[in-house]
Amino acid sequence: MSTINFAKREISFKIVYYGPAMSGKTTNLRHIYTTLPDKVKGDFTSIATETERTLFFDFLPLELGSIKGFTIRLSLYTVPGQYIYKLTRKSVLRATDGIVFVADSQIEKRQENIDSFQDMIENLIEFGENVETMPIILQYNKRDLPNILSIEELQQDLNKDNKYQYFEAIAQEGINVVETLKAITKLVVQKA
Amino acid sequence: MEGRLSKVQIVLNEEELKKIEELFGEYLVESEARDIVLLNKSGELLAKSGDITSDVAQNISALAAGVFSATNELARLLGEKEFTITFHQGQETNIHISLITQNALLAMIFDNKLPIGAIRFWAKKTGNEIKPIIEGAEKRAENQTQKVINEDVEKDIEDLF
Repeated sequence: MSTINFAKREISFKIVYYGPAMSGKTTNLRHIYTTLPDKVKGDFTSIATETERTLFFDFLPLELGSIKGFTIRLSLYTVPGQYIYKLTRKSVLRATDGIVFVADSQIEKRQENIDSFQDMIENLIEFGENVETMPIILQYNKRDLPNILSIEELQQDLNKDNKYQYFEAIAQEGINVVETLKAITKLVVQKA
Repeated sequence: MEGRLSKVQIVLNEEELKKIEELFGEYLVESEARDIVLLNKSGELLAKSGDITSDVAQNISALAAGVFSATNELARLLGEKEFTITFHQGQETNIHISLITQNALLAMIFDNKLPIGAIRFWAKKTGNEIKPIIEGAEKRAENQTQKVINEDVEKDIEDLF
């Protein structure tokens, strides 16, 4: 939930990157961290296992600059995707202002995407959030791999009513990573 | 999506922030705490006092909120509604995190010279002092029916990146 600091003329937003294990959530944040200029970003914090899988969350604070007299601060988080971290995932999602759902385009990940999206919706409902008005952007990642679902199939699974804006991405190469971030930023700021 | 207000947790004005910082300054000396950090459940830094830099305080806020939220999942598993305090003890440093209102958390960092009882005492005292100020800010947030940014910000956001 956004925090307005009239004293410092700042608005802070929390954005969570959600999605199944290995879909590219941490890769998104790492790319943002390496791409954006130093003056914009804080330290990148990653709480990962010894095998580099997210255990708790990754965290990247950004101070983007000023809009209509307010400095816009973003706190970007990823959740751990693996099933066993269900409760940790839920705890990171608490009090979020917007979500980027990172789906894995590979055919064999189809059910995992659907389950993860459902898990996200259930958690939001449990927190008393209005899922109809929650800003959500979809990112269909790994579009460069050979064995992938079509956009129509992904849309059918996750965005049947075409309610959410989506981006085709190759997070490893940074393709459409910043564009995804811009899109979710627009949604959360416009809602403030 | 436009025209619908997002939930706002806390709206701090200049006077409130000044008062909180004054109280923190006072309690920092009295309690011999090293740093005091006020944050919300989203992990956003609201105020700080001590030698701690903004960057470090921001990271502490994110991690403290994460720890607190995860601890509460643990509470629910054990049949508790929530744990309102978490405490971490190290060789040199202790950190005491407590829930002071529905949305705000207070993290107090101490050197190891102070006994745990004293840490609890000062954390409670400091929390009680700032509680009414935060509650006022939360109440204002509840009644915040006006959008803060009314104009179209599409182009402004493009320019930020």
